[in-house]
Amino acid sequence: MSTRAQRRDRLLLHVLVVVLALLALSPFLWLLLMSFKTNAEIFHFPPRLLFDATLANYAALWTSEFRNSFINSLVVSVVSTALSLLIGVPAAYALSRWNARGSGAITLWILASRMAPPIAFTIPYFLVYRHLELLDTLTGLIIIYLTFNLSLVIWMMRPFYDQLPRSLEEAAWIDGATMWQGFTRIILPLSGPGLAATAILCFLFAWNDFFFALILTRTEAMTAPVAVVNFMNYEGWEWGRIAAGGTMIMLPVLVFSFVVRKYLVHGLTGGALKG
Amino acid sequence: MISERLAGTAAGFARQQHRFFAYCVAPSLAVLAVITLLPSLYLLATSFTQLSLTRPETLWDFSQPLESYRQLLADSRLHNSVWVQVKLSFWTVLLQLLIGLGLALLLNMKSRLLEALRTVFLIPMVLPPIVVAIIWKVIYTPDISPMHGIFRAIGWNVPALITDPNWALTSIIIADTWEWFPFTMLMVLAALQMIPQELLDAAKVDGASPWQVTRHVTLPFITGILLVAGLFRLIDSIKAFPLIFILTDGGPGNLTEVTNYYSYLQAFNFSYLGFSSAITVALLAASIVLSWVIVRAVGWGVRVD
Repeated sequence: MSTRAQRRDRLLLHVLVVVLALLALSPFLWLLLMSFKTNAEIFHFPPRLLFDATLANYAALWTSEFRNSFINSLVVSVVSTALSLLIGVPAAYALSRWNARGSGAITLWILASRMAPPIAFTIPYFLVYRHLELLDTLTGLIIIYLTFNLSLVIWMMRPFYDQLPRSLEEAAWIDGATMWQGFTRIILPLSGPGLAATAILCFLFAWNDFFFALILTRTEAMTAPVAVVNFMNYEGWEWGRIAAGGTMIMLPVLVFSFVVRKYLVHGLTGGALKG
Repeated sequence: MISERLAGTAAGFARQQHRFFAYCVAPSLAVLAVITLLPSLYLLATSFTQLSLTRPETLWDFSQPLESYRQLLADSRLHNSVWVQVKLSFWTVLLQLLIGLGLALLLNMKSRLLEALRTVFLIPMVLPPIVVAIIWKVIYTPDISPMHGIFRAIGWNVPALITDPNWALTSIIIADTWEWFPFTMLMVLAALQMIPQELLDAAKVDGASPWQVTRHVTLPFITGILLVAGLFRLIDSIKAFPLIFILTDGGPGNLTEVTNYYSYLQAFNFSYLGFSSAITVALLAASIVLSWVIVRAVGWGVRVD
């Protein structure tokens, strides 16, 4: 019997994968550990496995300007997500049910606006915002985040509605419901899981943005990713605070990503694959 | 009520349906037109000027519309940036495909532990790009880097990689590969799960070794996915920004200055927005062409009901 050999192979494979996972994660774990170290500890080599963990880095951040940036990030991400869902969900539903001509062109347009290099939007937005006085405002950021989030909503939700049978709302229409009632009373209540996943992905894309915020904000509307980078430039490389700031930015991301891990492929490819 | 609807108003209902769908789509199209189409046209218009914010009179000066594009052909720093971009894209896409494919094949087994580890491998990809950049800044900074610590301990004298001309681009490639190998891994895993089990069983019954099954059944089945994943990564690699901004700032010299980064420098460091717009129009055209290739490759618009 070859079962013993097979079992050994299986064990070896598991060990290999665990080692690879640790190796792949070590850079990330290092940053996490750094955020709990004092500056002296950070420069200590070889690193001590048991060091006196400190929350001083986090405390220092929370009493600094960083808190405002963190809140800015939250506000901008939440509002742009809500707006994208509000505008995009009915469109996704209609595009799924309506075989209008030109939907191929709309497809390419939406995909292209997801794929376009951010600088393509940044230059015109920068020029226009100077006149509209939207530079360094949360409103300005929310608008530019719609460029990717609105397309994301349409691309996540349209295949979702393709899967809902049309007979659902048709039955409601026969019972005398209007189109609008069919959508709000039948379709929307069934959209929960799709909406949740889409909302989280929208939030993450807005939250993760660095480039737009770097160029379109200065101080007032600065978001957390830009604020962390500023620790590098002006405050003399405070590695502990940089690590703590980085950790605070990535925590919500890790939690949410875990929740929507099934939809990640789908969201990242704009619906090219139902992963 | 029902008979009324069915009898006289079938045509009316169809019209009502059309109107409702139009109302649903209109806001999105209007908003997208204002926030993506208009800016693209504005970008195109700017590319025909010599706009520089230090000289306000250049704002709507279209007297030499093709001057920026003439400079595109003459600017050797731009040509260098395209070459850097080609090297970066080639190596990151290649490495991500290979590592992603290898890991997906390793992980594609029924096992609680492996299924849990799949999620763990996704972490680099979901981290905010700026955090990835910070992580690698730490690793590439000799004073605090565990990697450099180990090198010193075993007596290797390794220079700071991101400031070393021989290593700067490689260090970016390593960091970018680390960030995005989960993407190809995830796509391949999704594809692997779609391989019909009968196909695999049939190959085994015929006495194929695991290696032969992989080579002759699995790989042909997932080439399509690999192509699409590669295309997505290729388009994304054109946008590479945070890693270069944080790690090397395009240097040393301009060894890691990709086109996107050069365009950023021209616009927001040197204030030549007109010239930068021309570069960006070229970049935008490239990504639209690649998106179109994806749409064709995936076969969107063809609905399978």
